Parts: sequence; C-alpha cells; structure tokens
Amino acid sequence: MTIGIEHYLTLGALLFCIGFFIAWSKKNAIGVLIGVELMLNAVNLTLVAFSRFGSAEVALSTQVFVVFIIAVAAAEVAVGLALALVVYRNRQTISVDRTTLLRG
Amino acid sequence: MSDFGFHLAFWSLGAMTIGGASMILISRNLIHAVIWLVMSMLGVAGLYLTLSADFIAVVQVLIYVGAISVLMLFAIMLTPRAERDNSQNIKTAGPAGLVVLMVMIATMWVAIDTDWGAVREAALTEQARLIGESLIKHYILPFEIGAVLLTAALVGAIALARQDDEDAAIHAASLQAELEGEGAVDPVDVVDPPIAADASDSEASS
Repeated sequence: MTIGIEHYLTLGALLFCIGFFIAWSKKNAIGVLIGVELMLNAVNLTLVAFSRFGSAEVALSTQVFVVFIIAVAAAEVAVGLALALVVYRNRQTISVDRTTLLRG
Repeated sequence: MSDFGFHLAFWSLGAMTIGGASMILISRNLIHAVIWLVMSMLGVAGLYLTLSADFIAVVQVLIYVGAISVLMLFAIMLTPRAERDNSQNIKTAGPAGLVVLMVMIATMWVAIDTDWGAVREAALTEQARLIGESLIKHYILPFEIGAVLLTAALVGAIALARQDDEDAAIHAASLQAELEGEGAVDPVDVVDPPIAADASDSEASS
C-alpha cells in the first residue's frame, strides 16, 4: 500500500475535528485560540496535500494560499491574545463562561 | 526516498501530530497544552516535508513553533490570577462531541471514498523562488492587502494591550504598597521624591 492523498486528507480531517472540539468545549479563551490554530493547520495540511498530488496548475497557487493563511492566522492570534489581556485587566478572568457582559 | 522510510516518516509524524492534538484535549494545565501544541505543529511541519513542500515547512516552524507559541506563553504569563486550568465545559462538551463526530464521519467519508484521479509524480521544485515571484507578479494585490492587514492587526493589538499612563502609575503604586505590606496608597505619595528624601534625612539625624 502506498501513501496517497487519502492518507493526508484523513489526517487533516482528524486534526480539524480535534481542533473543532477543543475550540468549542474549552473554558479558557487561550484554549479556544489553540483549537482555532489546530483547525487552520489542518486546512493548510489539506491544501499542501492537494498541491503535491493534484494537477500541475494548482501546485503553486495552493502553496501561495497557504502562505496567506499563515499570515492571517498570525494577525488573528495577535489580536485575540490582546483581547484576552484586555478582558483579564477589566474582569480578572479569561474564562469564556464568566465573561457574560453582553448576555441579554 | 525509499518506500519503507516514507511509510515510517508518515506514520510517526502523523502519530506525533494527532497525539499532540489529543494531549491538548486531555491536559489540565494550560502551559502544558501550549507545549503539546508546539509538538503538534512540528509534526505538521514534518508532514509538509514528506509532501516535498520545504518552503512551507520552514515557514511553519518559524511562525507557529517560534512566534505564535511564544506569544501564547506570554499571554498566559500576563494573566496570572486567571484560571490555569484547561478543562472542558461539561455543558457544551456533549453536543460539541456529537456535532464533531458527524463532521468527522462526513469528511473522512469524502476523503476516502472520492476518486482523486492519477497521482502526479513530479513535485514542485525551487518553491521559494516560484512563490516569491508569483507573490509580486500574479498575487500583488492580495500581497499588499495582507501587508496592510498585518500592520493594522499588530498596531491594534498594541493599542489594545497597552496600559494608559495613569493606569500604569496606579498599578505600580498598588503593587509597591502590596510589597511593603501596607494598604492602598495614593500614587502621589509613592512617586513624590522629596518626602522620601526628608524621611531618610530625619532618620540620619535621629
């Protein structure tokens, strides 16, 4: 059995689902951010697998797409962690269950 | 690459990635979770190498392993009185698990069941040059927008995380008072130097 694109796609799907579960169920805001990072990595892995095994026309554009995703993920983490710091400064907690200021 | 070596690399790196991600789910300490995230990211970087995407692998190590994990550790250290625990919310874990299970079955079904066509044998070579060229030729507008986005996000992050001067002075004063074992003091008392000089003078004369 050779390692083909199915193996990488299955691995990416598994990683995405673990990240999804972490982002959904963690109490801590930084834990939620870790889950989002895992999901973005799973998508990147899927794109790179298509870049290697797909047709020759998409080989370069998928890799450029991955570079853009990494840049946007870095911006997202910077802003998310700054928001966590501001929430901590005002409410002394970063638990997503206890920051309920906007609850109706 | 020999077939056996390729198999070994794929399965061990895949186990590293999935194992690291699962340990984030299990571990109770948030700092341990970030360390496991680093391990998972390193596994993904190795998988990029097995897909012969060397430029992306290097970028992954530089940005995820180097920058983002350090940023997360600093954020954890700067929120000292917040909860360190990394546990799940019991109320949402049940429905989340159900939905995630359904998503997992659907995506894996698609990944395994679809006929992906013939495998292309030749991998892309000279990726750094090709990616750089296409970034400033074909993708120049997204490249510029990405630059503006990164600048705006970092300036916004600094503006959010920065303390005002007044806040910082009060914070420093209360910290000083805590260290000296006194109650809350007016920040002016701490900052004002003549009082301290007088006190030391009086101590010296007596």
